[in-house]
Amino acid sequence: MSETSLQHDSREREAISARRDVRLPAGDHRWTVLAPVTIAWHHRELILAVLRRQLADRFSGSLFGWVWAIASPLITLAIYTVTFAGALRLPVASARGGAINYALSTFAGLIVFNLCAELCYRAPLLLHEHFAYLKTSIFPSETLAWTAVLRSLTYAGISLTLLLIFLLGVNRTLPATVLFLPFLVVPLVLLLLGLVWCLAALGAFTRDIAYLMITIVPVLMFATPVFYRMSDIPQGFRTFAYLSPIATAIDMIRNILIDGVLPPLWLYAGFVVIALLVCRGGYAVFERYKGILVDVI
Amino acid sequence: MSSDIAIRCAGVGKAYQLYARRTDRLKQIAFGSFRRFYQEYWVLRDINFEVPHGECLGIIGRNGAGKTTLLQLLCGITRPTCGELEINGRIAPILALGSGFVGDISGRENVLIAGAILGLRRAEIMKRLPTIGEFAGIGPFIDQPVRLYSNGMRARLAFSICAHADADILVVDEALAVGDAVFREKCLRFMETFRRSGTLVVVSHEDDQIAALCDRVIWVDDGRVRASGEVTEMLRLYRTETAGAVDDGSRFSFDSAAHAPPS
Repeated sequence: MSETSLQHDSREREAISARRDVRLPAGDHRWTVLAPVTIAWHHRELILAVLRRQLADRFSGSLFGWVWAIASPLITLAIYTVTFAGALRLPVASARGGAINYALSTFAGLIVFNLCAELCYRAPLLLHEHFAYLKTSIFPSETLAWTAVLRSLTYAGISLTLLLIFLLGVNRTLPATVLFLPFLVVPLVLLLLGLVWCLAALGAFTRDIAYLMITIVPVLMFATPVFYRMSDIPQGFRTFAYLSPIATAIDMIRNILIDGVLPPLWLYAGFVVIALLVCRGGYAVFERYKGILVDVI
Repeated sequence: MSSDIAIRCAGVGKAYQLYARRTDRLKQIAFGSFRRFYQEYWVLRDINFEVPHGECLGIIGRNGAGKTTLLQLLCGITRPTCGELEINGRIAPILALGSGFVGDISGRENVLIAGAILGLRRAEIMKRLPTIGEFAGIGPFIDQPVRLYSNGMRARLAFSICAHADADILVVDEALAVGDAVFREKCLRFMETFRRSGTLVVVSHEDDQIAALCDRVIWVDDGRVRASGEVTEMLRLYRTETAGAVDDGSRFSFDSAAHAPPS
């Protein structure tokens, strides 16, 4: 950016906000602390319209539509149950609850991990994917992160519902801690939004980010307690595992769904703080480069 | 800051950063504060004009002069590098008609999304769908995937959406180039009606359209406003000045003074 542009930056910003937000009362909502959420509210009609289209695309574009959406997690769940109930010897600590519980716990871990992985793969290409909208219409590009996250969350929601039904079938009851689920999902969504904003902005500049994700996400799968529990990790390494917010999210989901206990307060509080920071940070990165993103894709 | 003004450009300029290699762009992000890895290409510079509410401004100029970039700036699709831009009112851009459509879904679904982009509520769009379809005049094809549409049909639908978006300012970029004469006539009639209540900015290579619609014309040449003023006079000037011009690539030269960074 040249010096002239820096000089005019704040004035330019004012002018742009005046243009974009003519329907809003005075005040620039795009730069406040709550901006990641308020922009979603402001553009809710657009986010829902794009989301509706994408879901319809996925499910009604094929002959069996929603059947696929339910069949694929169902088959995964069935395979895990059969494999772990009979075929495999289990890691000691994880096996305590029995093979079925281990299968369900793995499935719960996979739901969260796949949610994150899908977004990591998609985010760097997100702006390229919606190239036509961004170039020819007044599309607010920051809303794309919301549609991407909500879309993936819908798929995860289908799997999660199956898991809950299965849990209910096996144990005849669900732990009361299931009610805590929304309090986990909300910070998780914020965390993912921040991640998507950051990756989408960087990915607009170079396709390398997309390739990088394809390389590191499978590695992350084994570094994250998907097929084992946090408690299987030797004490010395466990601290490192807790540094990954995705690992903590998986651990806490298992706490409330399978163990029937609330996650430790320090873990939950830490997760929320990190989620908020990542969300606001990711949004800040996106806003920082937003003006030139359209010129580089 | 009078609210009689719909559009005000003060010293607006737009520079694109041209990179020799893709990797230079990354270097610029990482080490940009130490060294510059790109060449600046000023597409537009020193653009000053005002459009009062209810006026129709025509923009003329040769290919590559910066007309489309100017419209993109007005719509907020890209940001100006310097200068001040003030827009009062809701803008609907009619640029690159129909290229924003998704091919796999029906025209109707595309209307729903395009309408949402323009800031309409779902209920409002639903209410207007019949009118939009009727104006576009593509009959039952509105329920077919857009990839089956001809260019003309896409343009018709895209124009129809923007026409029914309740915008205060309509920005039209050579929109009618692909439409047939009858549809063109319909669009012109629409724009004439629209002008009574709203503001219009039109880019066109056709003198008739400019003459029929516009109150005032600016001629953009090599990224600057070459001249502006009354319609017939501007068109005459533009025709005479460009009559003998050689159509070669010299206008696009990276090194030409017109596009070089200001010293």
